[in-house]
Amino acid sequence: MNIGQRIALLIVTAFLTLSFVGGFAVLQSRGSSREVKSVTEGVVPSAIASVELVGKLKDVQIATMNMVSATDKATATSMRETVIAQKAELEKALKKQLDQADSDAQRGLVKQAQESLVNYFDAIDQTAQFKIAGQDAMAEANMSATVDQYLTEQASIIETLQIEKRRSKDAAIESMNNNLSYTSQTLSVVTVAAVLGLIAMGVLLYRQIIHPINDMEHGMTEIATSQDFTHRVPVNRMDEIGKSLTAFNTMVQKIQESSDLVKQKSADIQAMLHYIPQGILTVTPGNTVHPEYSSYLEAILETKAIAGSDLMALVFDNTTMGSDARSQLEAALSACIGEDAMNFDFNAHVLPHEIEKTMPDGRIKVLDISWSPIVDEQGMVERLMVCLWDVTELRALAAEANAQKRELSLIGEILSVNQEKFYAFVESSQQFIVDNRALIVQGSGMAAQTRNTEVVGLLFRNMHTIKGNARTYGLLTLTNAVHEAEQTYDALRKDPLMEWDEAALLGQLAHVEGVLQEYAHINEIKLGRKGPGRRGGVDKFLMIQKDHVREALEHLEGVDEGNPEGLREALRQVRSRLRLIGTETVQEVLAGVVDSLPSLARELGKEAPIVVINSAGIVLKTQVADLVRNVFMHLYRNSMDHGLERAAERIASGKPEKGTIALDVKLDAGYVQFSLRDDGKGLAVERILKKAVEQGLVDQPETLKPQQVAQLIFAPGFSTADKVTEVSGRGVGMDAVKGFVEREGGTIALQLLTAAVTSEKGFVPFETVIRLPGKFAVVI
Amino acid sequence: MAQVLVVDDSSTVRNEVGDFLKNNGLTVALAVDGKDGLAKLQADPGIKLIVCDVNMPNMDGLTMAEKVRGELKNSTVNIIMLTTENSPAMKDRGKAAGIKGWIVKPFKGDAVLATFKKLAGA
Repeated sequence: MNIGQRIALLIVTAFLTLSFVGGFAVLQSRGSSREVKSVTEGVVPSAIASVELVGKLKDVQIATMNMVSATDKATATSMRETVIAQKAELEKALKKQLDQADSDAQRGLVKQAQESLVNYFDAIDQTAQFKIAGQDAMAEANMSATVDQYLTEQASIIETLQIEKRRSKDAAIESMNNNLSYTSQTLSVVTVAAVLGLIAMGVLLYRQIIHPINDMEHGMTEIATSQDFTHRVPVNRMDEIGKSLTAFNTMVQKIQESSDLVKQKSADIQAMLHYIPQGILTVTPGNTVHPEYSSYLEAILETKAIAGSDLMALVFDNTTMGSDARSQLEAALSACIGEDAMNFDFNAHVLPHEIEKTMPDGRIKVLDISWSPIVDEQGMVERLMVCLWDVTELRALAAEANAQKRELSLIGEILSVNQEKFYAFVESSQQFIVDNRALIVQGSGMAAQTRNTEVVGLLFRNMHTIKGNARTYGLLTLTNAVHEAEQTYDALRKDPLMEWDEAALLGQLAHVEGVLQEYAHINEIKLGRKGPGRRGGVDKFLMIQKDHVREALEHLEGVDEGNPEGLREALRQVRSRLRLIGTETVQEVLAGVVDSLPSLARELGKEAPIVVINSAGIVLKTQVADLVRNVFMHLYRNSMDHGLERAAERIASGKPEKGTIALDVKLDAGYVQFSLRDDGKGLAVERILKKAVEQGLVDQPETLKPQQVAQLIFAPGFSTADKVTEVSGRGVGMDAVKGFVEREGGTIALQLLTAAVTSEKGFVPFETVIRLPGKFAVVI
Repeated sequence: MAQVLVVDDSSTVRNEVGDFLKNNGLTVALAVDGKDGLAKLQADPGIKLIVCDVNMPNMDGLTMAEKVRGELKNSTVNIIMLTTENSPAMKDRGKAAGIKGWIVKPFKGDAVLATFKKLAGA
């Protein structure tokens, strides 16, 4: 049953109960009123009438006595008339009593009285006849004998009737009182019962309606305050409240779903703000930074004081931005935020896109900034989103890449020109620049017209010549720089009244000179083409280098400049290729030497040696290739001649038949170090000392340690060979080798590998260590 | 009849903005200050857009805008301010005077043309 039905039931029940109580009361009151009516209109008047009967009887008696005692006939007759009239009244009264009699006893008494009345009046009538006849004595006698007797009888009957009537009246009144008492008691009971019943129903309804509503309110309040949308209000009824609860639960379900969605979205945004490697913030009116921003922003700006701070101070303090640009930016921000979205379009060009910010420790960060409006439903800019990206490294990489690119294109241009021609071009161009500088200074002191005829034409011709040559040789970068200067001179030539700005002209010339020197520097230092050139190696040199340059350029040209990883990789590739420009591997440098060893071995009657070269990824600059080749030709030959034994001798000493000559190359403290050793018999330390003494190279031989003795072989003119062989000992000894090495800033020394003499013949294992400046080597 | 009224005491700005709009197919009237601007606006009911400097002699741009709405009871003409500075107080006055937009100098034609044409009813 739903609540409406319950309430309807309560109302109907109350109505019925009240109707019942009312009806009962009406019924009872009607009964009572009937009783009262019968008592007041029947019983009581009848009782009164019965009393009146006695009076009437007395009146008859008096009239009769008056008749009897009348002195004349007329009076007596008149009295008789009166009595007759009274008789009729009495009879009428008795008749009425008969009608009102409410019991057989009363009716019997009334009939008895009527019968007695007949006798009574017969006796009176007889008496009257005696009187009228003048028989007074008979009349009196009859009066006292019969009339009085019947009167007494009559009075006795009426008295009994009276008693009966009184009793009947009392019984009626008592019955009426009883009825009233019953009615009031019954009404009280029924009313109390009805009230109790209604109260009970009310309580029941209250419990069934108000209680669940309170429960519902409690459940709803709990969900509303706890915001726990997983909670549901239990539904265990299907009335209006049950339906409301179901609807409420459905709503909570919907809220939960959207709340989950919102939570998910905010979590995504939070995660994004937390992990995105970009500084993101939003600016609210007043240029205040919103409390939500990406974590990475703290790394970029190197501060945690971001939320609520002033954007201008946070981002633009300590930057290259001038005060005017700053106030312009402030005006633009103010013009956008809180205004129609079109204002962002109007002012976007004023918002800076890159700034250089000096950090507290003096580092300079390059920050890329992008701006976007956050527009609300009314099309107003609510906030501005600012994305900051630290592009310091990227810009540095890009700058480096551009420098490399420029250098590579310059190299490409230079290499297309024969070394001698290029040298001549640079020389002549430099001379033209020197001439032009002098002409500009000279021109400043002249009148415009004179200057035009004497100076400007020459300036133009000189520059035009440089340009022509540069263009001929395909030196495009230089051509462009020269072209600008030439254009200025051309303009001056055509318009003598044009302003003569010495500083600007000199600046322009300096620029041309700078570019020319850049070419010259690359040619001399990077390409090692100093001076008018060594023709021999040039052709081969060009072939290889061009490939290197082309590959490197391709790497740089194909790279996406917005991609730091790509830039890094390209730069790495280019660097490694640039390093290779003008280099040869150790194996390449020594190939001729190594190739000559088998035939040398045959000459010496020895086995061809096993040659091991461990260059550890080190390549040698071409400039040093000849030196290295010459030095090692000597050292390898020495090894073959003096170090490695003949096969039989080696086998006898338990060594492999073939000797091994090993070369290790490594970079060490700014030097490239070559260590050459063989598994031959070693250095004859004692013999060296003896020879040195013989040759007068040593004064106090006893003070020398073996390591010092070993170095004596570098003394000028020192030789241990007994005879001059084809292979070594031709006068160009180790002193010459030492001279070559030292001329390039290197050192050479023998390093004994054990402190003591290891064989009975006085030989010590050793290696020859050559160190050349690191600039001659590159690690791939 | 002109579609746009350019109000600026600087002839450079006035002509720069005016010429740009003319070259892009809009008809333009020029005024040298706020007073002049009000007179020109009253005289030409075709004006749909006012591009107005803020700081001017005789009558500044914001006062002019207020008078356009107040004295002239012209609530339909679009007003855009050209300015070098901006402050909350200026913006509040601007809002009350129904100013549509703020352009921080320098004026960049490409950024405003499409919107200007729309506001000028072209």
